[in-house]
Amino acid sequence: MNQTDLTWERIRIWLLWIALPLVMGLIAASAIPRPVIGIIQLNDAIYPLSAREMITQINYAIDNPEIRAVVLAFDSPGGTVVDTEAVYMELSRLRAKKPVVTVVNGMSASGAYYLSVNTDYIYAKPSSLVGNIGVIGYLPSTPVIFEDIISTGPYKLWGSPRDAEMRQIELIKEGFLQAVLLGRGKRLNIGKEVILSGKIWAGTEAVRLGIADELGTENDAIKKAAKLARVANYRSVGLYHLAGLQSSTAAPFFIQSSEGITLPYPTKPGMYLLFIPQLPVKQ
Amino acid sequence: MKKNLYWIALAAFIIPILARGLMFYRGFPNQRKVATPDYQAFISSQPPIGDIALNKNIEQTSGVILFDLAHANQYQPADVKSLQEAIEKRGGKVESISDTTSLEYKLKYASALTVISPSTAFSADEIRIIKAFVHRGGKLLVFTDATHGLVYTDFFSGSTISYPDTNLVNPLLTAFDISVNNDYLYNIEEHEGNFRNIYFESFEKNDLTLNLKQVALYGTHSIESPSGLVLLRGTDATLSSSNDAHDPASGGAVLSENGNVLVFGDFTFLSSPYQNVLDNSTLIANIADFALGGKQNILLENFPFLFTQPVLQVYPAPEVQLTAEIISAISGLQTSLKISEIEIRIATKTPRDGDVLVLGTFADAEELASYINPFNISLDESGDTITLKNFGDIGRAGNGILLFEENKNGNRLTLLAETPEDLIALLSTVSSGSFYGCILQDNIGICSVGYGGSFLDETGGFGEDVLTPEPATGDATPTPAG
Repeated sequence: MNQTDLTWERIRIWLLWIALPLVMGLIAASAIPRPVIGIIQLNDAIYPLSAREMITQINYAIDNPEIRAVVLAFDSPGGTVVDTEAVYMELSRLRAKKPVVTVVNGMSASGAYYLSVNTDYIYAKPSSLVGNIGVIGYLPSTPVIFEDIISTGPYKLWGSPRDAEMRQIELIKEGFLQAVLLGRGKRLNIGKEVILSGKIWAGTEAVRLGIADELGTENDAIKKAAKLARVANYRSVGLYHLAGLQSSTAAPFFIQSSEGITLPYPTKPGMYLLFIPQLPVKQ
Repeated sequence: MKKNLYWIALAAFIIPILARGLMFYRGFPNQRKVATPDYQAFISSQPPIGDIALNKNIEQTSGVILFDLAHANQYQPADVKSLQEAIEKRGGKVESISDTTSLEYKLKYASALTVISPSTAFSADEIRIIKAFVHRGGKLLVFTDATHGLVYTDFFSGSTISYPDTNLVNPLLTAFDISVNNDYLYNIEEHEGNFRNIYFESFEKNDLTLNLKQVALYGTHSIESPSGLVLLRGTDATLSSSNDAHDPASGGAVLSENGNVLVFGDFTFLSSPYQNVLDNSTLIANIADFALGGKQNILLENFPFLFTQPVLQVYPAPEVQLTAEIISAISGLQTSLKISEIEIRIATKTPRDGDVLVLGTFADAEELASYINPFNISLDESGDTITLKNFGDIGRAGNGILLFEENKNGNRLTLLAETPEDLIALLSTVSSGSFYGCILQDNIGICSVGYGGSFLDETGGFGEDVLTPEPATGDATPTPAG
């Protein structure tokens, strides 16, 4: 074997045994996805449409392995009981696989806080509003009958007696309380009575009471989520469009006055995990 | 050599993968099981139904309990059915007042007035009438409710105006040293189904709290009375919404110092199903007994409800003749007494017992001594004045006197005046039921009945020179008639 052949043999060996595996390794490595911290925004009340959108994003995060953690960014007063519970349960599925961190922007009240406690860490701004743990319900009317409406039982029109409705609300409250106790655990510095007072706290106070973990921003929440997921060099992406969602409209959740003002009251009677801001009351 | 190449190839293949992997992933997240509430384990609480107050051996009594409906009261009849039934089971009668003009009249015969969550104010005159009723021995029951105030929301401005019932009852209760706070009581630790449904286990000793171990009120204001009794006190965990603090000086129900005014901060406990919770039915029974226990001291101002027997004997004294005018006046009285289903009979002799109306002139004083003497009346010898205890000397002319005496054997009303004409005027005043021309002090009244016949001189004048027209002279202006 002359010098030239030897050179070609070395090149061949280098190409076959080093370059080719390296290229193949590089190709294979490129298949390893860059980790993503998914961001789910909730800047609305929790009602059928917003809940469905949240669940779609949660499912997307569960199904896509590159999404290693999720940040929930809240500015929500809460919403309906059943929609909140639906999102809460889906969040449990997500949390079983991936870390979830909450950042409270404007507000995480009532139902939104119900969801927040089912995350691993809660950040709040100093003046974010957090808490308002409890249930609001409209009691049904005392049953009456109408000439033009026929029904087959005294509560067909009204659902249940007023007293039963009140006690039903207590059950929902108990579920909320348990969720808070399970989610926050030993981090809580307050007792059951304070939790159930329905108070809403500013972020600084919420951290002091153990209702939230730390003051911080969305970036802090993303870093925390990455840390919990044990990833680096990640990118953060809003999941709304990734999950295939497009802006859609639904019947307004809050009452709109004839002057176009959005009032803090839901349009339909029912049970709510909702913070209704105090209106100025004169006596 | 070839074996080494395999290792090199493998390394060349893995290193980029590892490098990229390590660049992004620093470990594996912990797999965990997420705990969620055990929703299935939650059980809805049910109202703790207590022993329903037994209806056997209920002591029968009588009395009329008025329910105020004249102040846009925020309740439905069904809300207070339990209390009304308890009253009726005890032989009481339930009536309502739907207009304020009948308040004074109805309070003349009622045992108790019940005011529930008004939404319009009581006038100063109504407050005066109710205070007089309570001072006569009538009972006043006031039920407010923290859940029944009026709230108006101005959607345009976003402001809400609240009209709690406390603002409307407090002016009425101030006179009895009771005030209802514009708050509600709550207890987050222990409650009956909701934080605003309060258990009470600490009771002030009173007939109203007899046989009570635990009651529940549903959205109650707190009430206080420095001089009265706080009947129902909450535990230390019972807090006021006004300051989130416990105030041992206030509670859910208060009884005034004189024992005639009972105030509750809630009336939801009277309605279904709450009237049967714990000892609430016993409390309602006690309230019914309290209301029917109101016995007014019958005073002249209670007319026409001065008499209790089915027959009123009218006894004209010897100096009083049953003229057409007198009989007409007595028939007017008969009309007034019809409301009480009292029949009038004329007595020719002094009745010994039963309800009696005596008609006499001052000249009959000796004959009517048994009726007059208890009142320490003395008629002077000159015949001009009468001396009455607490009144002093009263002119006889133009004045009539009312004397009322409550006896076991029957009640007596004596009407005295100077002349039969004055007596007729006095009887007409009494029959009308309006004593605005009279001064009433407990059981004695003096009424102005005009100038009186004796005041006129024989010429029909007032004892002054009567101007008589002079005869016309020829200088007078002629009239068309001449």
